[in-house]
Amino acid sequence: MFDDPDALTSSDRQHYAGCAGCQARYAGMADDARAVATLLAAPDLQPDVASAFKRVQSAPAAKPRFGFSLPILRPSSRPMFVGVAAAAVALAVVATAFANVLPLFQPKTVEPVPVTVADIQSLSALSEYGTLTWSTQPQPKIVLSAADAEAIAGFKAPAAGYLPSTMSKTITYAAMPKAVAVFTFDAGKAATAAAQTGQSLPKLPKGMDGSKLTVTVGPAIVEVYGKMNASSSSDASSQQINVPELVIGESAAPQVTSTQVTTKQLEDYILSIPGLSKDLKAALKAIGDPTSTLIIPVPIQYATSTSVTVQGVKGVAVGDNTGLGSGVIWIKGHVFAVVGPLKQIEVVKIANGLKS
Amino acid sequence: MAANLEAVPEGRTRLVKSREEAFEALFKSEYARVAGIANRVLADPHEAEDVAQEVFINFHRLHSASAPFAPAWLHRAAAHTALNRVRGRRRREKRELAQAPEEASRTVDPQQMLEVGEDRRVVRAALARLAPKPAAVLVLRASGLSYAEVAQALGVGTGQIGTLLRRAEAALRKEVTRGSSI
Repeated sequence: MFDDPDALTSSDRQHYAGCAGCQARYAGMADDARAVATLLAAPDLQPDVASAFKRVQSAPAAKPRFGFSLPILRPSSRPMFVGVAAAAVALAVVATAFANVLPLFQPKTVEPVPVTVADIQSLSALSEYGTLTWSTQPQPKIVLSAADAEAIAGFKAPAAGYLPSTMSKTITYAAMPKAVAVFTFDAGKAATAAAQTGQSLPKLPKGMDGSKLTVTVGPAIVEVYGKMNASSSSDASSQQINVPELVIGESAAPQVTSTQVTTKQLEDYILSIPGLSKDLKAALKAIGDPTSTLIIPVPIQYATSTSVTVQGVKGVAVGDNTGLGSGVIWIKGHVFAVVGPLKQIEVVKIANGLKS
Repeated sequence: MAANLEAVPEGRTRLVKSREEAFEALFKSEYARVAGIANRVLADPHEAEDVAQEVFINFHRLHSASAPFAPAWLHRAAAHTALNRVRGRRRREKRELAQAPEEASRTVDPQQMLEVGEDRRVVRAALARLAPKPAAVLVLRASGLSYAEVAQALGVGTGQIGTLLRRAEAALRKEVTRGSSI
């Protein structure tokens, strides 16, 4: 009303003319608006657009990266992120170790295993026992449409059949072609790592030195719901944390192949790492068919997990202890995940309605 | 065959060129406004231009200039980046206040300049103490954006802007009064 007096209808005007309450409220608001206009007065700015453009052009070249940052990727969280990444590699190794029939791991189902922070730290030491190189670098890209994502990944982007009514209509698509990592065990590096930590870590079994594990991940498509683009502040120190409303991911199932290392060797070796909790060891041993089971590490201090049925197959639902967010992971040809700050029942409903 | 081999680099060059052209067009159409938003927060034209350039560089790294959300992204990023600078200013403020009498002595009316500078400092500090959304609503609207543009930048419905704005104005006045009495 203050900004646009013409917006008032004639009946509004009639009411206003006879309503002392509305008049008083309007007077207060108008007073605030005038005061703020004065308060926010700023010195004259006469920008030189041409020279400003030259300065911007001379800035370092553009490179693709995700248009938003998750709290875990903020600088203060880097050590934690590195720990988690190392744990992910270690878990791939663990998975292979338990594939005691063939030196090949290709999961068809999921199984939660409880991990503690101490477990993650212990397992992440494994990554110090060799060298991880990417024979095909992961190249995630933000794209503008589902079609662009499909062109990169080579499969149809998953489409949500059911979404809560409050869900944002803005979807950011990211896609990644297949990436291949090779982990080469290195006895020398392992000895140095053990010496540096001061821990008595187990020696690499004979013949393991130089052996390779090839881990293939992707291609994958990730869909992020929410106004992530608009809120990705240009300042990394921004106090705004952009939490997606929903994340849907689909990826080809990871594959791990092993040369030289026998699965028995790897299994014995991993179980001999000091610091692993009894629960984790027991859970790893209890996995029925390790050649086709994707281990979902559940940090038991922070999250809970339950088995659910999604699209007719077994899935693992993970929720944090505060009930603020939950996610579900299942494998049906590909690995699927639906994660969001929603109730578990909603996440499972979205997962069941997903069309791929 | 040779023609095919040559076609790829040419196509890429054209693509890169068109991307650069799109960015230049976006820059020219939005720079003054983005710098204006930052200036509204910072009350400092030089620093405002720094912020505007930082915002454009970040945008160029992350997105295509032809993205439909480009202006809204830039407006929001300008407001938040400038507000973050005000929040991180405290240490520098002490230094500036120490220099103020020296700078003021070079002006025509030192007393008036000092008062204007102090008023602006109090207002900007109050603005930075507001929650991010009300602060951004005030800054964007005061920078001349329409209700629809403010709504797009903040990802809210246009119908909510009037209410958000009125509440934010009242909140800022209260904060300024509080800041002045501290």
